[in-house]
Amino acid sequence: MKHFIFACLALISLNNFAQNKTIATGEKLIFTAAYNMSGLLTDIAQVKMETSEVKTSKSTLLRLKCTATTYKKWDNFFKIRDLYESYVNPKTLTPYLYKRDINEGGYYKFMQYKFNHKSNTVKSLKRKKRKDGETWDENKVVNIGASTKDFVSTLYHIRNLDIHKASPGDQQSFKVLFDNKETTIVLKYIGKETISTKIGRKECYKLAISIKGSDVLKGKNDNLLWLTADANKVPVYVKFKIPVGNGELKIESATGLKN
Amino acid sequence: MSKKLFIILGFITAIIAVILAVTPLSNLAILPIGVAFVCGLIVFFISKKQNTKTKTIQYIFLLVIISLGLTIYKGVFNAKEVGNTEELEIREEENLEDSKEILEDIEIDEDF
Repeated sequence: MKHFIFACLALISLNNFAQNKTIATGEKLIFTAAYNMSGLLTDIAQVKMETSEVKTSKSTLLRLKCTATTYKKWDNFFKIRDLYESYVNPKTLTPYLYKRDINEGGYYKFMQYKFNHKSNTVKSLKRKKRKDGETWDENKVVNIGASTKDFVSTLYHIRNLDIHKASPGDQQSFKVLFDNKETTIVLKYIGKETISTKIGRKECYKLAISIKGSDVLKGKNDNLLWLTADANKVPVYVKFKIPVGNGELKIESATGLKN
Repeated sequence: MSKKLFIILGFITAIIAVILAVTPLSNLAILPIGVAFVCGLIVFFISKKQNTKTKTIQYIFLLVIISLGLTIYKGVFNAKEVGNTEELEIREEENLEDSKEILEDIEIDEDF
């Protein structure tokens, strides 16, 4: 039975490699991130997820860009200006280049992964700032699995899954490269749920996320993701629990959707 | 004795309320505001019973009013507004230009 389920999941995931049916060019999703402080949810930052087309002389790629910006009143307190981007094949959402350029309360870090899917390696570049403002680079070559993606393209890849074919309790795992390490994220389909959001009352797929062998995400079914149960599978609500508290992400607006 | 306790408690919570109301954590000030207000009321009734006049009640209430006013003002007028993103936009542009250069060298398999 176990092997059968595994075979089914493998088939489903193989199927997903084929086509991008969900992500359009020019899509823009805006979220509000809130953090729970002694029982009160406080809006902290705005999170944007945008897609756009990038043309090179040889090919066309899809740029997946995620930014996080703290609200004005927090800027003096703890200013966050984060940029995560991934350049993927528009047809299959396979990543070729990933960049993480973060600036959190004066802490600066830059990460860049160049994917080589033929040799299953990633050329990684880490850039950090010293206290005197000078930067230093660290280059590395990391071996990855055939299906390993970066953090951003995994988010979009999850949206492109055929969730309507799954039944409650089904699980699928993804390999994600983060901080030069391969981590396994396990996604579990819990069921359908109708929730009200800023973009209307939506029937959603409720999914639970966990990271294997890490305690960054706490609890068993405490990290949840709601994707609209339509062809766009827009993430409308996210609930997370980390060692220093819990929070949520709520959708504010969604424009430029494919279907 | 209990009067003194409530005066101290009321004062401390009222000051915490003012501090919180000034910081971006203004909606956390509601709890100390409530505690300070209740303490103030208790002190008020105790002094009424004892027929003594206590000036501290006024101070506690004054601090409560200040922090409550600030909290309400911030709640109403501080709409969710994103701060200055100019620096981030510049970084976004720089990264895009840099990425285009890098991507020129990367071989992209259309079907993979």
